[in-house]
Amino acid sequence: MTDFLAIVAVGVGSYLFRGIFILALANKKIPDPFLVVLQFVAPAVLGALIVALLIDSDGNVAIGVPEVSAFVVGGAVAYKTRDHILTLVAGMGVFWLVRALM
Amino acid sequence: MNSSLDRSIVKRGIVDALPLFVPAIPFAFVIGLVIVESGLSPFIGWTSSWVIFGGAAQLTIISLLGSGTAVAAAITAALVVNVRYLMYSAALAPAFQRQPRWMRWLGPYLVIDQLFALAILRADDEPKDFRTYYLSAGLVFWTLWQITTAVGLVVGPVVPEAWNLEFAVSILFLGLIVLGIDKYPKLIAALVGAGATYLAAGLPNRGGLLVGAFVGILAGTVAERLRE
Repeated sequence: MTDFLAIVAVGVGSYLFRGIFILALANKKIPDPFLVVLQFVAPAVLGALIVALLIDSDGNVAIGVPEVSAFVVGGAVAYKTRDHILTLVAGMGVFWLVRALM
Repeated sequence: MNSSLDRSIVKRGIVDALPLFVPAIPFAFVIGLVIVESGLSPFIGWTSSWVIFGGAAQLTIISLLGSGTAVAAAITAALVVNVRYLMYSAALAPAFQRQPRWMRWLGPYLVIDQLFALAILRADDEPKDFRTYYLSAGLVFWTLWQITTAVGLVVGPVVPEAWNLEFAVSILFLGLIVLGIDKYPKLIAALVGAGATYLAAGLPNRGGLLVGAFVGILAGTVAERLRE
């Protein structure tokens, strides 16, 4: 029961994080300077997330030649084709290939 | 179901969501494995998939509860992992201003990294189109997550780690950043966000992510100011 209540506490807290600005700002004029800042949330958080996903349990970033190669090729394919599946196939393909060759 | 539902947008949401979900499959299996190994009741552990609906926080709370960590500390650690949702909430708020009340209450429940990354690219769409797309993609993620984490309880131990399928998440997020960059201050925000996270990687509780995101937002804003 304690386990379930702990999970519920995390669930409620996470919902509040997700909803607080959406609900609080529903009928308010959002100030322009705030809107300027908000447009950089997506690129900054996703950029940070890409690196954070590569952090191992010791706090080191596991990034080497295979990862960088995959990012360069995946980024180029995304830019050229604007297609998620092609980006995924190209990026993972290069990642596995370079890792196998090293 | 509303008869004027635009099927092409529903399809678009589903088609965009599916490749983003693929890398979450091994992650779901890991969660299943961790639930089994934690000693929690498997059903209670699995309820986290719909009560919390966020893999990293689920993994944190379950593994900490299983290791006998104090409950308050386990809850705090899991919530820290999800603090980034505050930023998503703020960024999505303008798009949700044009949504009906029920959508403003339901929408946040579905927010995860993948849905945010897709939805923010559609924030300027017609409100009804945005809603159709958001719910289509969001319900794909939600439904598949419930199923795969349940399946993970059984097959968790058998996924070959050597595939490094989780790296696919990074590739897909990179693709989404590329699609979202329409001016160079956004490029600055992404690069500085990534660089700062790299430098702050040693911080506990994935603190580097929050530091990196904050510095990236700041850098983008400064670049925008300098451009004007």
